[in-house]
Amino acid sequence: MFAFELAAATKRYGRRPALIGVDLAVPAGTAVGLLGPNGAGKTTALRLLLGFVRPTRGAVRLQGRDPFDAAARRGVGYLPERLRLPGAMTLRRFLRVHGVLAGLGGEDLAREVEAVAESTGVRDRLGERLESLSKGLAQRAAFAAALLARPELLVLDEPTSGLDPLGVRDARDWALAARARGATVLVSSHVLSEVERVCDHVAILREGRVVAAGPLDRVVQPGETLEDAFVRAVRG
Amino acid sequence: MSGALRCFGVLAAEAFRDGLRRRFAFAVALFMIAGLVGAESCTDFSNAQLSLNEHTIPPEVVAGFVAPLLVGWQALAVMVIASVVASDHLARPLHEGSAALWLARPVSREVFAAARLAGALGVALGAGAVLIGGSSALVLTRQHLPVEPALAAGAATAVGALAVAALAMSASLVLGRTAVLLLAVAGIPYVALANAVVLVGQLVHPDVELGGLLGAVDRFGPPLGTAVIAAVAPWNPHVEASGAFAPAFGRLALWAAGSVVLLALTFRRVEIE
Repeated sequence: MFAFELAAATKRYGRRPALIGVDLAVPAGTAVGLLGPNGAGKTTALRLLLGFVRPTRGAVRLQGRDPFDAAARRGVGYLPERLRLPGAMTLRRFLRVHGVLAGLGGEDLAREVEAVAESTGVRDRLGERLESLSKGLAQRAAFAAALLARPELLVLDEPTSGLDPLGVRDARDWALAARARGATVLVSSHVLSEVERVCDHVAILREGRVVAAGPLDRVVQPGETLEDAFVRAVRG
Repeated sequence: MSGALRCFGVLAAEAFRDGLRRRFAFAVALFMIAGLVGAESCTDFSNAQLSLNEHTIPPEVVAGFVAPLLVGWQALAVMVIASVVASDHLARPLHEGSAALWLARPVSREVFAAARLAGALGVALGAGAVLIGGSSALVLTRQHLPVEPALAAGAATAVGALAVAALAMSASLVLGRTAVLLLAVAGIPYVALANAVVLVGQLVHPDVELGGLLGAVDRFGPPLGTAVIAAVAPWNPHVEASGAFAPAFGRLALWAAGSVVLLALTFRRVEIE
């Protein structure tokens, strides 16, 4: 069972191609890092997976379904790169709404909100409006929302953006904990060292095409670091 | 409760709160107060001596003209409010990016759009309930008019507001907000004007049909004014309007249903940032 699949997926914005014939199938339970220079198509790939945009050609499957189908996004936790939190909401309400949308209710919802707020270090901010949170705390709040209801697929777009070193380590721990309980983790990041620590698979994009993909120990050749493999792949 | 309904409920409640938090809601509140004060003064003529060309006019006849006009323009205002709130109630979270957070969850586009529409309508219809309900209560208690026309006018206002809000929301997905606001603020009064001109024309010359753009808008457009005025026409003993409400309301309901379908179809095509 694949957590998600892109089959010859092409996405164009007008005439500009963002992804060109991408084939990528990620088995459930793996942690995959999506790498590439700016403009390589990483965010477009995530948007295709989440049903935000439709492929111009090819097919995309999320948990075996068309991602445009709401049921395909059941059990998905998403942390976007550009955080645009609804500032007037309190953190507690923000998490409760996410919890309801994730299918939680009643005491489970209240318990899960408290637990995830505790584990992400924002429990004492639950009564505050999101607009009053610092960038790092807002990132933690968004992480808390993504981790609610123990997602089976965790999609993280630049997860360490805005976090201090302690936050970076926490973010890594949250992703590793999700992986340890069997969730699929998809990380799009420029921070190769973090990807290397969290992921067992990588896919490297360049100009909308996958130029390297597979288990980390196959993409990174003996004697290389992930950075070396990345530079080799994107420079062709 | 099904998952989709729970999602709709929580998102609609949030959309309603979002609508109340906007500065426009403050303007709506001021408008409601001013509207009620105006209604209070222009419905209080039971003890007045009214005459025209030395003929005394009974208060119920005056009420038969004043009450429909009062409720008619208030219904129009509620529809404008609905369209103004709706003009960016879906587009704004899409442009700001907060919609992506919700839509990454198992929430269909239809449920999300319906929730935002419900939130916008909640603000407009809340204002309408206070405004039209308050004015109707004043008219009914002071002039002893029947309550059924007020209820029918309320229903017509709600359906009209749904139609224009869904149209404004659909337009906001493809046009800028200024363009949508212009369309709403100019378009709704224009439709109401076309309806009013035709209604008045039919009172004077029942067999004459209005041509041109006004006539076409009245015949094929959403009967925003016609439905409301037909609803409250029974308040006026000098106007024969029996049977006018049902067809106008039915056509307005069709427009509302079509507008909601248009919104769903338009939103399905939107690419989310």
